[in-house]
Amino acid sequence: MRAPSIRELRAGLWATARALGEALLVLVVLATIAFLALRILPGDPAALVLGDHASEVERAALREKLHLDEPMWLQYARFLRGLATLDLGDSLRRPGTSAFGRVGQALVPTATLAATSVGFGTFFGISAALLAVGPWLGSRRVWVERLLEGLAATPLLSFAPLLTYLLAVRFRVVPLPADPDAGAAGLLFAAGLLAVPLGAHVGRTTRAALSRIRRAPFLAVAVAKGLSPLRVWGLHALPTVAGPVLTVVATQLGALLGGAVVLERLFERPGLGLLVLEAYTTRDVPVLEAAIVAGGAMFVLAQGAATILHAAIDPRVSSS
Amino acid sequence: MRRAWPLLVLVALAVAVLLVRGLDPAHLEPEVAWAGPSPAHPLGCAEAGADVLSVVAASLVRGIALAACVALTGFGIGVPLGALVVYRRGVAERAVLRVCDLLQAFPSFLLALVILAAVRSPSRVHLYFVFALTAWAPFARLAIVEGRVLREAAFVEAARALGRSAGQIVRLHIVPNLLPTTLVQLGSTASAIVVSEAALSFVGFGPKDGVSLGALIDQGVVSMQRAPHVLACGALAVFVSSRVLLYAASRPSAEGA
Repeated sequence: MRAPSIRELRAGLWATARALGEALLVLVVLATIAFLALRILPGDPAALVLGDHASEVERAALREKLHLDEPMWLQYARFLRGLATLDLGDSLRRPGTSAFGRVGQALVPTATLAATSVGFGTFFGISAALLAVGPWLGSRRVWVERLLEGLAATPLLSFAPLLTYLLAVRFRVVPLPADPDAGAAGLLFAAGLLAVPLGAHVGRTTRAALSRIRRAPFLAVAVAKGLSPLRVWGLHALPTVAGPVLTVVATQLGALLGGAVVLERLFERPGLGLLVLEAYTTRDVPVLEAAIVAGGAMFVLAQGAATILHAAIDPRVSSS
Repeated sequence: MRRAWPLLVLVALAVAVLLVRGLDPAHLEPEVAWAGPSPAHPLGCAEAGADVLSVVAASLVRGIALAACVALTGFGIGVPLGALVVYRRGVAERAVLRVCDLLQAFPSFLLALVILAAVRSPSRVHLYFVFALTAWAPFARLAIVEGRVLREAAFVEAARALGRSAGQIVRLHIVPNLLPTTLVQLGSTASAIVVSEAALSFVGFGPKDGVSLGALIDQGVVSMQRAPHVLACGALAVFVSSRVLLYAASRPSAEGA
């Protein structure tokens, strides 16, 4: 490998700066929407928090505590400073614990779940794609393709509860993921469920990308050298399609986060989803804002990681 | 559009069920709560004795209506917007494309939560606005990608030579030629919306009338051991409605990407 020239370095820096700027922009926009939604939409947040029976004095006190009595620009400035210093105030429901503290605690299980299922999903998807293009299954390769297409169009909400009922309640093959004794097995089961749609999307994209390069000269050379099909497809073909695979994982991250919330609700598994839900029902404004920003940050970080990984795997990216 | 018949059959069936049985959300028979299927209640009963068949039919009609409205709005905004910026070229085209990229990968679930959190009791109208906020992006994106080929076509150049204005060219020559591909997107958007609506109500952010497939699945999860039929009906209904919408707009010769 030769050392990169100054020009390439500058281009790389520029691309990184642009990606960072975009990530920041997404976060600020999301946070601003959260800020505006809770303040501009009709309805007094203080009334939402305290309910209809609270006295005017109590509401005024809460408004002062949340700084809702200040002009909008001052509130917004305070909000932005809170974001920058990771301090949006205390949780309304649990005075004394900071909103970001609670969110940070809840973020760990959700991130673990999402990361595990990204791992599973990519593995399943790539294996299925290899089976669908490789010579092992003969004419039955079409089945893999159909299976992937069917799975990609099956909503998580329709199969996850049913599978849970069958496997965890009826036949007790796997433990319920919310069971404290379940430990890693519960996490693996939940991640496996979440990985199904992701894996199907990854599989379809990888298969399409692999069949496009099926007749490429470099694969013919690999075959002519007498390499086994596994080496040809796994070692020679697969790295060249890293781009599409990473792109599809990155575009599925949003759906994955939504799926994680659904699964947390399904299994009553503590995490960001349940925290948002609790903050929503109790109108815990600071926690809600912090959770939304944290969820967005997780998403943006994962997308950035996918971009960087892509450039690291595929040298054609950085030189373009 | 020959493939629309399963969708029409499904909606017609649901409407027929509603007409025959009549769904009154207040009509509950607590003595048959969680009862299994019986002649009087072909799909059994849910919480407080609500008839599962009627609930499924009512949720299907409302969910599909919402999805259709959102998809048509997205189509109506996205396609003309995409066609116009791609015809004009330049900064606007790149900017719209970039916004589409961001919106499409955006966790729309989070966005929905933010906006619904500020509403005291969310209704389907609120859900409509939340979904419509991002629904136009895939349409605009498709229009831009396809329009890049179209704008170089000879008939567009001919129209320009004849002195047609940009608006006329977009309306008469570009948009009509974008229809075949964007109509397919109509189906995938609608199908995604049906699922998102169910997912939001499952998590507890749905319309407060509680008539939603997600709410039914939620009940089914709670009563998994007593009454598995509730869960099965809800899950199956989500699956069928999303598949039927997807199928309705797909093209017979559609090959996988």
